Amino acid sequence: MYKLELKNVSYLYSKNTPFEKLALSDVNIGFEAGKITGLIGHTGSGKSTLVNLLNGLNRPTEGTVLLDGKDIWEKPKEIAKIRTEVGLVMQYPEYQLFDETVRADIGFAPRNLGLEEEEIERRVAEAIAFTGIDGALLDKSPFELSGGQKRRVAIAGVMAMGSSVLVLDEPAAGLDPRGRREILDGIHAYAKKNGLTVILVSHSMEDMAYYCDNVIVMNRGRVYMQGTVDAVFSDAEALMDIGLNVPMVARIAAALRKKGFPLEGTLYTVEGVKNAILRMRKEGKA
Amino acid sequence: MISDITLGQFFPGFSLLHKLDPRTKLIGAILFIVAIFMAKTPLAFVLLTLFTVAMILVSRISFSVILRGIRPVVYILIFTSILNIFMTKGAGEPLVAFWVLKIYKEGIIRAIFMTVRVILLIVGSSMLLTYTTSPISLTDGLESLLSPLAKIHIPVHVFSMMMTIALRFIPTLVEETDKIMNAQKSRGADFSSGSLVRRAKALIPIIVPLFVSAFKRAEELAVAMECRCYRVDKKRSKLVKLSFGARDFLSFAVFAVFLAGVILISRMSPALFGGGALARALCYRI
Repeated sequence: MYKLELKNVSYLYSKNTPFEKLALSDVNIGFEAGKITGLIGHTGSGKSTLVNLLNGLNRPTEGTVLLDGKDIWEKPKEIAKIRTEVGLVMQYPEYQLFDETVRADIGFAPRNLGLEEEEIERRVAEAIAFTGIDGALLDKSPFELSGGQKRRVAIAGVMAMGSSVLVLDEPAAGLDPRGRREILDGIHAYAKKNGLTVILVSHSMEDMAYYCDNVIVMNRGRVYMQGTVDAVFSDAEALMDIGLNVPMVARIAAALRKKGFPLEGTLYTVEGVKNAILRMRKEGKA
Repeated sequence: MISDITLGQFFPGFSLLHKLDPRTKLIGAILFIVAIFMAKTPLAFVLLTLFTVAMILVSRISFSVILRGIRPVVYILIFTSILNIFMTKGAGEPLVAFWVLKIYKEGIIRAIFMTVRVILLIVGSSMLLTYTTSPISLTDGLESLLSPLAKIHIPVHVFSMMMTIALRFIPTLVEETDKIMNAQKSRGADFSSGSLVRRAKALIPIIVPLFVSAFKRAEELAVAMECRCYRVDKKRSKLVKLSFGARDFLSFAVFAVFLAGVILISRMSPALFGGGALARALCYRI
């Protein structure tokens, strides 16, 4: 059974107005428990719309969203509970910061859950450890921080909710490469430690290849491809057809093969290509 | 949802109403409003309603959109109708007398007239102005109409620029509010339950980020305008110059005839229509 599943989901924006727009049509996706699933696609392919359906912010026009096999819209009045079970970090989440101190802001979600102060404190501490926030910043105003730090605080704020599913919409957009790596490493470590099911939306093929177990490719509101990272990235042509790129090293590997170097396996990470080249040299093929 | 508010929204199109010069529509709207307040008899209201329906048909905007635009004022209408019904003293015997409450025929008639008047006022002016005129051309028209005031040192241009910017950013702020609300809901915030004080407090996580980003946006916009050498005191040229065409003069004529017609009809005596019961009812003056 999938942790989170979408069955025949369609979503229509501004129904019955001149602005009506079909954003998702007949989407079927299963997110495996304990795995990190990447979601890629161009702007306007329906990724963000999809993300808002996962924790019940929007209700699908047609179809069902299942969490642990149960329709999340079975009791619309209890949808707030679903939102705490599926944590959502929206795009540019730093715009949601509001409280007087970083500590209070990260503690906002657990406080809404009505937890004890001690438990809140523990969750805040855990969240800042994984997002790499300096403990000295806890008593500062979130508005004094730099852009990258604000982003970390916002992500920590959702982590502290303690959901079993974490959905992140472009969590590293607009950050420098190092900040990117640190934040994604932190999320990865946190997810693996707590056995979370993670859905990671990203534009970066490198991030997908590096952090994800499975990948879903969206195109024009439909699921274009879905499968393991290996399966999706080995079909580079299908990805290029809709104007997406495979990771740069995968292109290098393909170019090397074209030149007659017999590299083995599905290659899309720097590490993998390096090993393949070393193996090839050891075997004296080049 | 908050983005479903249609009052004050522009619906792009290519109808006659869309193509009219904004100044024509502004003056037309003033004539229309004058006509509404000059209308004194049911027959005049029939004429007003027919004219409004004709405008809707010409604009090709669907009736459901217009109904949605009225929805926000329904409660105010009900409230004032009730006040009108109970507070109006009539000449004859009350229709219903109950404790201190007395309902007279005049009260009911007055409530109906008031309701029709307000609905026509909203539909008519939004048909002419907001629904069919883009905010930019609306302020252009306003600036042009008010330009004589610049002679007596009233900063017309500054006001119109302020209005343009304000109108331009309404949808942006609505979208932003929606996003922030979603983000806070995703962190377990609850806006729709609890006491009044609790609900007011629940708005803080929305208002603070909204203000922060609005100020930031204002500053960025000011810098961007200055980078393009914008100066308040310098005369600017226009990309699209407003000019009256044949259809504008024709529309003026239609509006003038219509206003005259409403005034005339309001003064007609039932004798003109044969003096029967129906004629007396149609020409009943309030």
